[in-house]
Amino acid sequence: MPLSLRAALACRAAAFATALGLAGAALAQPRPAPPPAAAASAAEPTAPTGAGQRIYERIRPQLLQVRTLLKTQDSQSSVGSGFLVDDAGHLITNYHVISQYALRPSQHRLVYATVDGRQGALQLLAFDVVHDLALLKPVDPAPLAGRGAVPIRPASEPLPRGARIYSMGNPLDVGFAVAEGSFNGPVERSYLPTLFFGGSLSSGMSGGPALDDNGRLVGVNVAARRDGEQVSFLVPADPVRLLISRGRGASPIVAPAWDEVARQLGEHETRLTAAFINQPWRNAGHPLYRIPVPQETWMRCWGRSSPAQSRGLQFERSDCEMDSRVFVAGPLLTGYITVRHEAYDGSRIGAWRFSERHSSSFGNEFVGRDDRLRTAAQCRERTIVPPAAPGTTAKAEPALPLRAVVCLRAYKKLPGLHDLMVLVATLDGRTAGVQGRLDAFGVGLASAERLTRHYLAGFGRSGSATEVPK
Amino acid sequence: MSTPARLALLEVIGRDGRVTRAVDVQRWPLTLGRSLEADVVLDDPFVAPLHATLQAADDGRLTLDVGNTDNGVQEGAQRHTRGSRVAVPVGGTTWQIGGLTVRLRTPDETLPGEQPLPVRARRAAWLPLAAAATLAVLALSNHWLSLDPGADTMDWIPLVAGLPLVLGLWAGLWATASKLFQHRFEFGAHLRLALPLVAAVEAVDWFGPPLAAALDLPWLWRLVTPLQVALLLALLYGHLALVLPQARRAVASFVGAAALAGAAVAITTTWQQVDRWSRAPYMSTLPTPWTLWRDPTPPETLAADLAPLAEQLARRVQKARDDEPPEAGDED
Repeated sequence: MPLSLRAALACRAAAFATALGLAGAALAQPRPAPPPAAAASAAEPTAPTGAGQRIYERIRPQLLQVRTLLKTQDSQSSVGSGFLVDDAGHLITNYHVISQYALRPSQHRLVYATVDGRQGALQLLAFDVVHDLALLKPVDPAPLAGRGAVPIRPASEPLPRGARIYSMGNPLDVGFAVAEGSFNGPVERSYLPTLFFGGSLSSGMSGGPALDDNGRLVGVNVAARRDGEQVSFLVPADPVRLLISRGRGASPIVAPAWDEVARQLGEHETRLTAAFINQPWRNAGHPLYRIPVPQETWMRCWGRSSPAQSRGLQFERSDCEMDSRVFVAGPLLTGYITVRHEAYDGSRIGAWRFSERHSSSFGNEFVGRDDRLRTAAQCRERTIVPPAAPGTTAKAEPALPLRAVVCLRAYKKLPGLHDLMVLVATLDGRTAGVQGRLDAFGVGLASAERLTRHYLAGFGRSGSATEVPK
Repeated sequence: MSTPARLALLEVIGRDGRVTRAVDVQRWPLTLGRSLEADVVLDDPFVAPLHATLQAADDGRLTLDVGNTDNGVQEGAQRHTRGSRVAVPVGGTTWQIGGLTVRLRTPDETLPGEQPLPVRARRAAWLPLAAAATLAVLALSNHWLSLDPGADTMDWIPLVAGLPLVLGLWAGLWATASKLFQHRFEFGAHLRLALPLVAAVEAVDWFGPPLAAALDLPWLWRLVTPLQVALLLALLYGHLALVLPQARRAVASFVGAAALAGAAVAITTTWQQVDRWSRAPYMSTLPTPWTLWRDPTPPETLAADLAPLAEQLARRVQKARDDEPPEAGDED
């Protein structure tokens, strides 16, 4: 398949996934920043003059910086923000802020730093990898006890779109800061509930609270788009409540948490697969073929076609991707599905040339090599005929031969989870054809089988039913 | 005036095994050395001024007296040092004197028979023509396939001019090597060798993948590249054998060893990166509607393929875990 759009889409996805944890490399960048004391100067005992100042003054005791340090030295490998959720000193941050500790606790340690400069060691109690949240508590509760808690805005009081909210955190480890912006409701077409914050979030603010006018929690800072202006994202309060209630009494995590990550991802992929298969395919509107295109309920589809003047192969392509992806570790984002297809019209180039282009395009697919986190992909291939769509007879819809390849790539540290790739090409057309690809990242075997069947059943000849059985 | 009788012939052998200088020996003794006083002047810096003397005894047997030399005289595996006297074998012998190879031929030698010149069989004359025609057809059609309709004439230039040029250069380079070692510029022989093999490589590329796709045989599809490499190795062997006909066995061993080493490196790196023997994860050539010879299967069979795949991967994961040092688990 042509690579340029794929690269563009990859960039777009990467931009979305820009989490706000601050790694050491970012710190190394020279920044013409004001001295750190500038942010802290808001703590001067002057009368509050604005809402931001008032809320900051109220939240100051509960606001924290959360650092992941290398155990053998004091170098920080990740820096984020956090906030206290009860008087006992429990605090919430993002999973991605503490992921290095969660996955390799023998080599890292966690510490907090308060606005007034107090520091202490932290323990990880629980995390929600899917919603990117973690619950921690101090080893010595005394310094954080009695500082109060950030109240959570009740679900019964939905915030109107456009309301001012105030995001707190320690951007780029420069100093505690308030980023004011507007609440824009849930992100549209997002599988995981995510809030759209019309304000600027920077690295290091991850895990900090975003508060309403009354200082109540609306969401937790989590990510920002780098290809737009003031397009940032918050984890809503519901998963925060659930994590607090689930993890408050838990024993501290001291061993690598890969199995727990795998368990949570397994539950996520089962729900996601069921929800995906529950949606009927859309019709791509192709004159010859029925091509499976997912609903855009929580996916975005981008289309592109060949230039009109092209003398060569004509094509139209569609790339459908989920914005919601689950951060597991540095390079590993998983828990999502993409579907794409290319419809080729070779009437201008003739059957021989079309055959050559069709094969070349089918071969130009990357399925993955062996790396530290995943095995190399292994594939099986067959020429198949999908069943006729319901309501059609074999006569009305003669069998459509397809070349189909399934590939699996296993996660080395997440038992039972795989990346699934299904590649399909139609074989009946002398000068026309369709190639499709479904990718499901982080799925179990059962889901892989269901998704494969579901996807293959989405292909057929057009003119028949536009929906296929679930 | 009569010419004195030739008692022996002393030859200096060049690097390529050919005689570069021959001296009629008409009297004994005969002195060899770098000095102008020597009967046969051997102009080599590793030769002593009076390096050796050849003498005939009364009974006619010849001896070699090694003169005042540090380097001595090498005869086969034996080294004759300063002052030694050695008998010359019947029929003559070959010595290494300094940097020169010197052969003495005597009248009692046994002369080997005449060697045949490497004459090319005439019956093969049609083969290069047929191969050239096949190669041209395959290359032109391949190029036609890669161009869109209405392509500019200039788009054909790289192939029409480039292919003959490259083949000519290729044969020319090998012919130069032949000239170096065989003193014959065997352009035609190298071209006649290259044409059918290059045509075969092109033909395998043309017909192999579609045939594998039509028969639904991915293993056959994966054999296409190794087969092409084997043909190219055969080509390499053919050229080397033409250049060094006297060392065909050594050439075969060299090409065979290079092929084995190359295959081992390729297979090892492929296996490390993708856990497979072949880099291609699947057969990417699609059968055409008119070569769809194998009956399709229901999609369920493909979904059922996933379980064995997952098992295979689970074993791979287990192996990766076993190989991992304890307390590892780097995540970033």
